[in-house]
Amino acid sequence: MLKYKYNGGLKLDNPYPINEIDLIRIPLPDKVVLPMQQRIGNQAIPIVSVGERVLTGQIIATIDDQRCAPVHASISGTVVAIDEHVYAHKSGLKGLCVTIESDGKDEWVDTSIGCTERYETCTANTIYNKIRVSGIVGMGGAGFPTHTKVRLAEGCHTLIVNATECEPGITCDAALMEAYPTKVIRGIEVLLHICKAERAIIAIEDDKQDAIAALKKFCNNENISIEVMPTKYTSGAEKLLLKYLLGIEVPTGKFASDVGVLCQNVGTVVAMFDAVVENRPLISRAVTVAGSAVKESKNLQVRLGASYDYLLSFVDIKEGSHKISMNGLMMGIELDSTNYSVSKNTNCVFIDQLEESKPTKECIRCGLCNTVCPVDLLPQQLYWYSKSKNIDKAVEYNLLDCIECNCCSYVCPSQIPLVNYYQYSKALYKQQVKEKQQTENARERFEFRELRLERNKRERAEMMEAKKIVLKEKMAKDKAQKAAIEAALERVETAKSAQGSQDDG
Amino acid sequence: MTVKLLNTNQIMRQVSYALALGVGAQVYFFGFSVFIQIFLACITGLITEALFLRLRGSEIKPAIIDGSVVLTAILLAISIPSIAPWWIIVLGVSFAVIFGKQIFGGLGNNPFNPAMLGYAFLLISYPMQMTQWPADYLSMGQAVDVIFGLSNIDGLTGATSLDHLKTQLTMGISIQELELNSISQLWINIGFLLGGVYLLLRRIIYWQIPVSLLSGVVVMSTALYLVDSGQFTSSLFHLVNGATMLAAFFIATDPVSASTTPSGRLIYGFLIGILIVIIRVFGGYPDAVAFAVLLLNITVPLIDFYTQPKVFGK
Repeated sequence: MLKYKYNGGLKLDNPYPINEIDLIRIPLPDKVVLPMQQRIGNQAIPIVSVGERVLTGQIIATIDDQRCAPVHASISGTVVAIDEHVYAHKSGLKGLCVTIESDGKDEWVDTSIGCTERYETCTANTIYNKIRVSGIVGMGGAGFPTHTKVRLAEGCHTLIVNATECEPGITCDAALMEAYPTKVIRGIEVLLHICKAERAIIAIEDDKQDAIAALKKFCNNENISIEVMPTKYTSGAEKLLLKYLLGIEVPTGKFASDVGVLCQNVGTVVAMFDAVVENRPLISRAVTVAGSAVKESKNLQVRLGASYDYLLSFVDIKEGSHKISMNGLMMGIELDSTNYSVSKNTNCVFIDQLEESKPTKECIRCGLCNTVCPVDLLPQQLYWYSKSKNIDKAVEYNLLDCIECNCCSYVCPSQIPLVNYYQYSKALYKQQVKEKQQTENARERFEFRELRLERNKRERAEMMEAKKIVLKEKMAKDKAQKAAIEAALERVETAKSAQGSQDDG
Repeated sequence: MTVKLLNTNQIMRQVSYALALGVGAQVYFFGFSVFIQIFLACITGLITEALFLRLRGSEIKPAIIDGSVVLTAILLAISIPSIAPWWIIVLGVSFAVIFGKQIFGGLGNNPFNPAMLGYAFLLISYPMQMTQWPADYLSMGQAVDVIFGLSNIDGLTGATSLDHLKTQLTMGISIQELELNSISQLWINIGFLLGGVYLLLRRIIYWQIPVSLLSGVVVMSTALYLVDSGQFTSSLFHLVNGATMLAAFFIATDPVSASTTPSGRLIYGFLIGILIVIIRVFGGYPDAVAFAVLLLNITVPLIDFYTQPKVFGK
């Protein structure tokens, strides 16, 4: 069956091959630092206080926002601090974190909440709620709360399980699939049960033969098919995956759910299985630790909040200066130190030997970038307009459709960090739009004020006019009355005098 | 796609290497004067570029070693007659570097192909020196004498087959006789064609421009030939004479000044091909590549704007 194809993309070899893709469970860390802010939405609010004893799986922070998920204690122990730490994010901004010191017991809280019987008998709403309170978010990197995403896709026809491993060098999903193939399959069944899709497709790249074999062995559901696709970078991007598997091109500005497809990362599916079937909230994840400075790459199953330093103590690191990055070579970010902690969407930590950076040259418009752009943009034109801060023109050349996959920067013969320019332009554009909106608002407010003043004036005038008329009428009436009275008096007078004269007469 | 990644400097160098076969053929037919021209051109180019960069206050070394100025110099040196006096190439390369490239901000910012701008400047200013090609193979000594003006060039020069097209036809010489005359042109063009194929295989240039340019030449010349085969030459004549192959693979494909969208490249190349034939046949100058390329350079922003590929999801 198949294949549709999308243009561009890159065939990249895994830069850090692993001999044995094992998922290694590492011992409990002594301390975890759990960030309250997840990728999007508001920051969760801690509901524990310093000095409080917490149990593994206990909710320590929550928020009433559909774009957020609660945070759980990933170890049992004592809350030692609730303070600000620098997040592992490009911005380098600080955010609130809860620090827990382990008591080494890993004592669990009773997590059998909600639907405790077989999930088949539960309603979708009960399961959504369970996914929400289990703190599950997209584990491929986006970190979007799963319950919201699944709910948005209600009534979809197809479920796609993204097992492509978004970038070369990351093998944590492969390790997870090899270790827990049944969880993957059962997790998909749970999802099919709630989103009512007719079929599920597991999309997996052909460089993960062991994982494919493991899944095939345990997949006995005829509604679930395993689609082996060629290894190509950016296939893991949701919209491109959809194009490849189903031939559906999601229109700009729309989501997979708008075309009746739900896409979930395989790590999320496993986390969901743990939550729904085994009543275990999300407190750990698989992380790939690799890099040119790492002697043997490993996949570690680690509690959330464990520090990078702790992770790195399980691999041998070569001497020399290092470059630290997370979430991949292409779309990940470079970090200044290892002083960060594993969050729900940390899929890898790479330690590379520091190389001399190659000098950037001018763009010669060779056009290699437009041959690798998976969304068919003209990166050289975007660069030209971004460089000259001609944002309107860049937007005209579809700047906003850029998925920032970095294929263009990777192939650029002049080593231009193209995507940095686009991000900058996008930020400028956002600001422009915001300012425009503000001006628009101000103008509207001003115009409304003018209108109001005008109206008040008019209304007052009308009121005065009305009053005048009333007054006039009243005066006229008074006059008439007065005249009538006078006339009556006169009549009386005349009558009197007539009578008088009669009397006289 | 799997790509063997080259950096900008390597691309420039590869293009220069790919010129070797065509240049070799020129040397075989015209002698080492070609090398003298290339040498003069490169020295002038490097010095001019360095001076100008200094005036602009930019870093000199990275721009000098990127190979782009050398490539421009070589392209211009092999386009002009190999026995042109030394000051022709010096003037031409300086003009190309200053007004074709540096004045717009250096590599990557020039709207026109610098080598062709230099060529057009020379052709318009010094038509006599620019149309005297060696009639025969020149020895090294003869070449030095001629280029540096130590001896008279009378008797050494001859017209090219494209010149003949303009002059001889009116003197009653048939097209067939003319076509036999251009054996040197044939081999030089074959040399550039092979170099171009190498660039295509290395994915340094894309197929669109060479293919559409050559199609443009064929379409236009065939159309004219069909109208009157006695007055107009066949497409084969146009393909293997003058700078057709050099234009198709090395000049029109200069990425900086060419169209950058896939379908835009087709339009760009095709129109250059058409223009080459029109200017050769009806224009006042023997060869037309420079003017055709420069004219299409102007239209590139327009072509690029109207040939944007359909973006995913739009």
